[in-house]
Amino acid sequence: MFIFLIFLLVLVSTPVMAQEIDTRSEIRELREKLERLERKLASDEALREKKSVEERDAIAEKVKNDVISEVSSKGQSYFSKLIDQTKVGAYGSMRYGTSSLDDLHNSFTLRRFVLTVDSPIAERLKANMELEFERFTQLELEKKLTRTSGGGLTSEQAIEGNNKSEISVEQAWLQYDITDWLKFRGGAVLVPLGRFNINHDDNRWDLPRRSLVDKGTPVLPTTAAWPELGAGFLGDIPIGNAGKLSYQWYVMNGVALDSEIEQIGQTRAGDTTKLAYEVKLQPSRGTFSDDIKTGKSIGTRWAYSPSLGSEIGASLYWGRYTPDFLPNKPVFSFAIDGKKTWGPFEIEGQYVNTQWSGVRKVAQGLARRAISSSSEAEIDDVETEVEFELANLANRKQGYWADFRYRFWPDFLSNTILGKHFTNPQLIATFRAEQVWFSELLESIAFANGALTETKSANRLLNRVTMGLTYRPVPLVALQLAYEYTRTNRGKSLSSVTNFLTSSKDREYFQHAVLMGLAFGF
Amino acid sequence: MDSKISLRQIGIWLVCLALSLGSSQFALGQEGVFLKDEEAPKAVFPEADSFERKVVRSNEEIKAKIQQRMGKTKTSLWEDSYVTFVAKKGETILGYAAIVEEIGKHRPITFIVGVGPDRKIKDAALMVYREAYGGEVRDRRFLQQYKGKQLKDPLLPYRDIQNISGATMSVEAIGRGSKKALALLEVVYFEGTEQK
Repeated sequence: MFIFLIFLLVLVSTPVMAQEIDTRSEIRELREKLERLERKLASDEALREKKSVEERDAIAEKVKNDVISEVSSKGQSYFSKLIDQTKVGAYGSMRYGTSSLDDLHNSFTLRRFVLTVDSPIAERLKANMELEFERFTQLELEKKLTRTSGGGLTSEQAIEGNNKSEISVEQAWLQYDITDWLKFRGGAVLVPLGRFNINHDDNRWDLPRRSLVDKGTPVLPTTAAWPELGAGFLGDIPIGNAGKLSYQWYVMNGVALDSEIEQIGQTRAGDTTKLAYEVKLQPSRGTFSDDIKTGKSIGTRWAYSPSLGSEIGASLYWGRYTPDFLPNKPVFSFAIDGKKTWGPFEIEGQYVNTQWSGVRKVAQGLARRAISSSSEAEIDDVETEVEFELANLANRKQGYWADFRYRFWPDFLSNTILGKHFTNPQLIATFRAEQVWFSELLESIAFANGALTETKSANRLLNRVTMGLTYRPVPLVALQLAYEYTRTNRGKSLSSVTNFLTSSKDREYFQHAVLMGLAFGF
Repeated sequence: MDSKISLRQIGIWLVCLALSLGSSQFALGQEGVFLKDEEAPKAVFPEADSFERKVVRSNEEIKAKIQQRMGKTKTSLWEDSYVTFVAKKGETILGYAAIVEEIGKHRPITFIVGVGPDRKIKDAALMVYREAYGGEVRDRRFLQQYKGKQLKDPLLPYRDIQNISGATMSVEAIGRGSKKALALLEVVYFEGTEQK
């Protein structure tokens, strides 16, 4: 019985013990799970904390830098900030040219070096200046006032410089940006006639000589770059999703017939010594001082760009060109220009038409005022002569230039010295066609006793084609090679229709030239 | 031309000036601040309803990775940190954006580049332009050329980007900066620890 009872007890207690063992093991597993979870949570928390600390540090660092920069900027004086924001740049160009004309030497020419300064004076206000040194080497002035031995005073003056050296202000203006479509600009502004004058920086162009229409003849009332003192508005108006209308509109002093005195000292074999003064009245940019005429001029250009890389522009210029002592006559110019890009191909061009009103009346007016076109006197061995002449006037001049460009870069050049140091080097093949027509180009006038005695004019044509190849390692640097063929009417001199070809020989009515150029900007 | 015409012209100026002063919307010209930090991501992800701003600190490792992904394109990588954004609509990530700076001709240009989950540029917007010339790079018609571009594209004028005459340096800067943003977002979000 006792044994039976023990057996029964064992039988009953066995499942209870097994159940207890299971529960313990479950508890242990749960505890372990809980510990793992706790560890994971702690690890995640630590990770989050670390990231948060890093982010806080980064933000704190940024805030600190911002604060430091703000404090330091507040600490700066207005002038030191202005100096810091003002940027000085430059562009320049030089050329080596050969010519088939007898009187032109193969020569290096410093075309120009232009210093540029721009400064954002304050929000919406900025100033810009360009100072040009054209073919400039040196300018030295010597002045002396001394006692003459034996009584009296001696004044001496000497100017030392180089041929065709020029220093000129190309731009100097202040601009107030009222809105995108209305900005006020005042000062020496570039006249918006055609597209070249307002985009004239040499390093932007791929040929080493400027066009006939803008510089070599010119058809513009005066040579580019052509600034005038004035004021006006400009702006951009968006049209649709991709279109844009841009305009510039100025009132300016404007082009005027101005005098240029040429002094000539000449010794002649078997003849008297000659001292001559040639007073040349020719259109030149308006004065930056008191205007020599009462009327002002207007210049405006409107350009529509339907998409990036395409633009068509129309511009006009109108104003009196005669000084007050001559009859009131205006010059009127209009231009049509444009540019279109298709991938690597580009066409860019400009047509300009300029009409000088009343050229004959202006000549008569000059005759009345100047009395004699030429007067001579001879004292002992010295002959003196004073001559007046009107230059660079025609009833009408019209002409165009058209550039056809193709940009490319052969892959095999990428690993050569031409390509391996640059991100996007380019070769640009350019073909330029140019023509200029002169209607009644004034060749010479003569007057005596206040009356016009002779006027000589002619209709002329000037053609030029240029083929060039330009290498641009970077956008602001161009190494150029070009061949030019220039031709005017058979038997007429090129010098009478250009301002850069000096030969006056009538048989030299055409020129072959090879040019190598270098243009840069920074 | 007589003085009467000049007076009329002055009158026209004054009318124009009065009209413009009377208008409430004043847009800026060539240079200026066009977008602030907080407005910038909305300009490239207008459909997003939230933006998570993250400042990514630059270090030699990140610089090396960015430069490696940019290939031949040389850039400044001067930044000690980059401001980036994750653009979301609800819980869906629309893309990532980075604010970058590159020197144009003389001064830095600040802009934001938005990149979609497909690693292509979704949009770009100019924030600050400081150069005196070349402000046309701010135009939509210019910036929309970058849509769909990716790291392997050259992003160079006359190659796959239409140039702006007279602003080539700024055009090249926008290309370099866009590549930098693509590389940065690639390193940080598509391959890096911030991957979502």
